Formats: sequence, C-alpha cells, structure tokens
Amino acid sequence: MRMTSTLLALAGLILSTSALTGLAEAKVTVLGWPGGSEETALRATAEAYNAQPGLAEGDKVELIFFNRDGFFDKLQADMAAGSDAFDVNLVATYSIGRYAPYMDTIDLGPEAAKTYGDAVLKTMQFEGKQYGVPTDLSLHFMYYRKDLIDALMKDDAAKAKYAEISEKFLGKKLEPKDPDSWTWDDWAATALYFSKQVNPASPTRYGTVLQMKNLLFNMMVFQSLPRSYGADWMDKEGKITVDSPAYRTGLELYKKLYDAGASPKDSLSYEYAETNAAFGAGQAATALQWNAAAGDLTSAEKSPAVAEVTAMVAPPAGPKGRADHIHGLGLGLNKAAKNKEGATKFLKWLATENAALTYAKAGGSPALSPEVVAKIAADRPDLVKLGDFAGKYGYVMTGATSAKALSVYELQAKEFTGYWSGQQSLDEALKKTETGMADLLKK
Amino acid sequence: MALLKPAESRLFLTPLTGFLLLFLGFPALVNLVYSVSSVSFETLRSPVLTGFGNYTLVLSDGEFWRSVSFSGRFAIVTALAECLIGLFLAIFLAPLLKKHSGLMAPLMLPLMVAPAMIGLMYRLVLHEFAGPLPYYLFLWFGDSPAFLDVNNAFKTLAVVEILQWTPFAFLLFYMAYSGISPDIREAAALDGAPWYRVLVWIDLPLMRPTIAIAFFIRFIDGFRVFDNVYALTGSGAGGATTSLSIYIYQAFFKQAAIGKAVAASVLLFLASLAVLTLINKLAAGRRRA
Repeated sequence: MRMTSTLLALAGLILSTSALTGLAEAKVTVLGWPGGSEETALRATAEAYNAQPGLAEGDKVELIFFNRDGFFDKLQADMAAGSDAFDVNLVATYSIGRYAPYMDTIDLGPEAAKTYGDAVLKTMQFEGKQYGVPTDLSLHFMYYRKDLIDALMKDDAAKAKYAEISEKFLGKKLEPKDPDSWTWDDWAATALYFSKQVNPASPTRYGTVLQMKNLLFNMMVFQSLPRSYGADWMDKEGKITVDSPAYRTGLELYKKLYDAGASPKDSLSYEYAETNAAFGAGQAATALQWNAAAGDLTSAEKSPAVAEVTAMVAPPAGPKGRADHIHGLGLGLNKAAKNKEGATKFLKWLATENAALTYAKAGGSPALSPEVVAKIAADRPDLVKLGDFAGKYGYVMTGATSAKALSVYELQAKEFTGYWSGQQSLDEALKKTETGMADLLKK
Repeated sequence: MALLKPAESRLFLTPLTGFLLLFLGFPALVNLVYSVSSVSFETLRSPVLTGFGNYTLVLSDGEFWRSVSFSGRFAIVTALAECLIGLFLAIFLAPLLKKHSGLMAPLMLPLMVAPAMIGLMYRLVLHEFAGPLPYYLFLWFGDSPAFLDVNNAFKTLAVVEILQWTPFAFLLFYMAYSGISPDIREAAALDGAPWYRVLVWIDLPLMRPTIAIAFFIRFIDGFRVFDNVYALTGSGAGGATTSLSIYIYQAFFKQAAIGKAVAASVLLFLASLAVLTLINKLAAGRRRA
C-alpha cells in the first residue's frame, strides 16, 4: 500500500512537472534588438499581438533583450550552441549568411509582398530563401544646417571665400549649391568652408563629423561615397575589386577632410552617438549619419540647438549618381526553437499590413510599399523619405550577404582607419584589404 | 591531535575539487583540444585534431606580436605608475589615515566601479561636445587635444587605468607600512637617522615583498586588459590599441578563427602561470623570512 502511494505521488509529481514545463515552453520567446526605437516599437507591437482576442495563452509573445555591445557575436555563440532560450531571433542583412545554418526558412505569405515590396523582402533573403520579416531598414541621410547653407547661398563675400577654399583644397573653384544637388566635392567644399581651422570666420567649429572609429558600422556609413564613384566588392568573376579608383577617391577625401580639421580631432574614435552629440551641439554644419538619428536631431527636446534648422537629403552624388547603403534588421525563426508553431504564427502576423503599421506608429522604421506608407505619412514623414531613398539609391555590395560579410566590414574598418590615422599608406591599406577580402569571400 | 582524520578531510574537499574540475578543468581541457584542432562555430561539437598549426599561425602573425607589445607596454607603464603613486600616497597619508581611518573608504571608491563602466564614463568625460574636460580646456585655452587619436590613445588609456587601480596598490602598501613596528623607526630616530634613511633602509626593505606582489598583480591585470580599452577606443585606429585580450576576442568572434583564438589564449594562460609562479615563490620567500 505504502509502495503504491509512493509511486502515485511520484507519477503525480512527474506529470505536474511536465505540465508546468509545457506551459512555460508554450510561450513564444522573441529576442529583439535592444535599446532605441526598435525595442520600443517591438514592445508595442508584441503588446498588440498579445491583446488579440482568441489568441491562445501558449502563443503569446514574451520579449527578451541583451546588450547591443557584441550582440551579433553573443547571438552567434548562442545559436551555434543550439540555444532554445528564444524561438524568434534578430537577424540583419549582413549577417544572414552567418546565422542561416541555425535558422529555419519561413513562408510569409502573399500579404508580405504587398506590405513591404519584393526589394525590401530581399534584405531578409539568403540564397533565394526567406529567413525573416524585415522590421527595420537603415540607410543614411546627409544631415545639414539649413540656416547656414541658406545664409551662405545669399552672401556674395561668403561665396568668394567658398570658391577660394574649394580651389585651395579640391583644386577647383566651386559655388555653393542646394544640398539636394550636391556632389561629394560640393559637400567637401561646404565642410571645409564651415571649419574654423580652414575658415576662422566659420559659425561652426567643424564642417562635418566623420565617423572614423575602427568599427564595422562606420564602414557602412562610408561605403556610399566610393559606391557613387562605381565601387563594388567584387566583379562578376568573383575577383576582389576594392583596390579601385573609386575606393581611392573616397578614402582620400575622408583623409583630406580629417587632416584639414573639417571633422573633430577625435573622429577616429567617433561612431553613431558621438556624431549625434557633435551635430546636436550645433558645432557641425553637416553629418552623414544613420536615418535612425532623424528623430533625435529634429526633436526640440533632445536637440534644442539644431532641431529647427536641421534638414536631410540623400547622400551626395558621384559620377555614377547617388548611392545609399541599405542595412535591414528583421526577425526570423530559430532552428532550435521550442515553440516553432507559435513563432511562425507570430512572424506571419508581423508581416501583415496592420502589424507593420502598428510597428511604424510605435517608432520603428519599416520600409513600406508606397500604398502602405501613405497610410502613415502624416505621423511618420521620415518613413516616406526612407522608402523613397531605399527605392532610388539603395544598394548592397556584391558578396555582402555572405557568411563572412561582417568580417569584410571589420577588415575594412581596421585597414581604412589605419590609413586615415597615418599608420600606413593608401597602397598598403588597399593591398591588405584586397588580400583579406579574397580570403574571406573565396567560394 | 588533528581535528579531522585524513579521510574526513578528503571527504570535505571533494565538493570543492569536483567544482574546480567541472568549471575550470573542463573548459581548460576543451581549450587545449580546440587549440590543436580545426574548428568553427558550425563544428564546435566535432573538432578535427590537426596538430600545432594554430600555434604556428598565432606565433607567425604580426598582429599577435603587436598586441603582445601593446599589452606588455601597457602593463609595465601602468603597474609601475600605480605602485609608485600608491607607495607615495601610502607613506604620505599614513599619519592622516591613522587618525581618520574613515578616509580610506572614499579613496577606495574607484575600485568598486566595473572597468567597462569606467571606459564608458571617460568616453563621455573626454568627448569634445559632451565632456566637461574638453569644455573647460576650450573655455580656458581655446583648444582641446584629441585624447583618443592614434598619438594620444595609449597615454589616455594608461591614465584611465592608473586612476582606477592606484587605490589597490595604495591599500596594500598602507597595510604593509602600518604593519612595520614603530619601535624600529623609533630606534633609528634615536640614532639620529633622517626620514629618508629610515625610508630607504627600513621601510622599503620591509615592504619589498608587498611591493613585488602588488607590481606583479597589477602587471597581470594590465597585461590582460580588455573592458575599459574596448569601451573607449575598441581596437583603435588601424588596430593601434589591440591588447592581447582584444586580439583573442576578435579572432574568436569577429574572424571566427576559434582555433587561433584559443591557441593565443593558451599562450596568455601560460604566461600568466609563469608570473603567478614567480609571485608564489616571492610569497614563500617572505613566509620563510
């Protein structure tokens, strides 16, 4: 009798434990991009999803976040170890190849194409297969001080000084232009004109803020300059083409501006936050910066010194036109997910028009199709610009979604900053980059 | 009579030994295997033994030696400065601290902050448009240096490290200085020895083992520096501030060269072991004395 009771108690304990475990596993755990507008938007969207009538308790979404620093490295270590701590994970255009072995592909259905358009869906594809929902698109704006440029264009004496400076530093006399029709030379001349070291009468300390820290994201910002001169990572035969006149022009222009004092002395340690601080302080006339900064730089509360006079255009043009580096963030399905069914249901919902609009209203930056973005244009005019620039100027370098794409950016960051800081010549930097890229991108 | 029988001692030590074997021994063993294997994130559970190729790769990599050089210079400069300043403060402040021991707490404050936080704090403090230091430099002198550019980054990083860790050396030296019997100093004073002779012939020789241990501990800490350097400059322009720990981190995560990273970490482990053995010998020498 005692034996039977003990066995029954044990069986009961095992059953209750399994039931509890089952309940705990039934939730859909989503690992999002921490901090910033992406986290705020995902929280609001998950709340809307969980509030749907009839949604089973086990399909409700729970969010987890860890620090941005080293995020992709930690994610890789977790996924390689087969972690099932999350069902849905963050994925980025330039790391899809790195994570694809640990993820499942997903069919988002026909509504996704209507919501985002095929070009944007492609930012979440690897070898033709869909790996995620494109929640945010990042590209770059040329931020500039409208008040300063307007004043420059009305002042003849200033124009003469501008021509003198451009001739001295760029070898040709230039006239101030509307930023939306700038070439990179026009931007460089403007940056030089508004730098105290070049022009002591400048109202700002610097003409621009270059993000030159040895950091892969800074290479994404820089990339559009050589691209507009026709740069690419490799040709059709797979030969690395980084040692090109286009890259040389871009690298030399950055160094020229940095050496001339057109960008802060500590630019070699600057990234996103430092650039925002410099421009927001009213001490820089222009800044090539991520679109995500638009909210902060035009907010009277966050950037009182410049909010009213900040305007944005697409990056300047080169001989091959304008180019804007596209970098997509999205959410995809972990291969080791415990609740794949619930996770798939959430991802399909996330790709619908209503979910995308909820995400956008809450501060996210999805690149929506023209029909969908029109519904939110009044609340989020920057999203119209985002979709417009992505459609007209967006590009992805050849080979930039491969498994080693992020390593290529890392390599470029190290070698290019080595050149900008004067530790090696341009020839050495390009030679090392070419050799390293050939090794990283070999088939 | 012994409190415990040998069998009982072994029994009590078993959990600790098991813990050490599991949490230190197992990762160390895996590291050793990986360091002589071809392994990637995809094949973490099935590494293929390939011999000592990873060690050859590391030892023939110019970047490895550059990072060793950075770590070595950084460790020597910071350990020396921390010990010298710490020693000066310990002796200079000893009479004051004897009367007001509560002053010790604020002096120890920098030790309580995580090095990564210190890095972030100085990133803000030194920022030209947000930091107080450049603000006042511009206000008073009309200019501010580039604290983190390639010419100044090493100096800035060293100063940040010294400011945080000098209190550690100071604490050890103050304890050692306070432990010297006042009778000896009194006897020397009666013999007419001036203060500097007391310092050179009595205090410093008696504090020598503590000074050596403090120097080596700070040397090891400086050699494996990661957090504050990574938060302030990353690996620096062109890799100028790549410490050995940053080299290992980058090889592992950024280049996915796991075998190479682990081989470098084994070399760092061996170097640390050599220094720790030296410290042990010094400590044993002090006990004998």
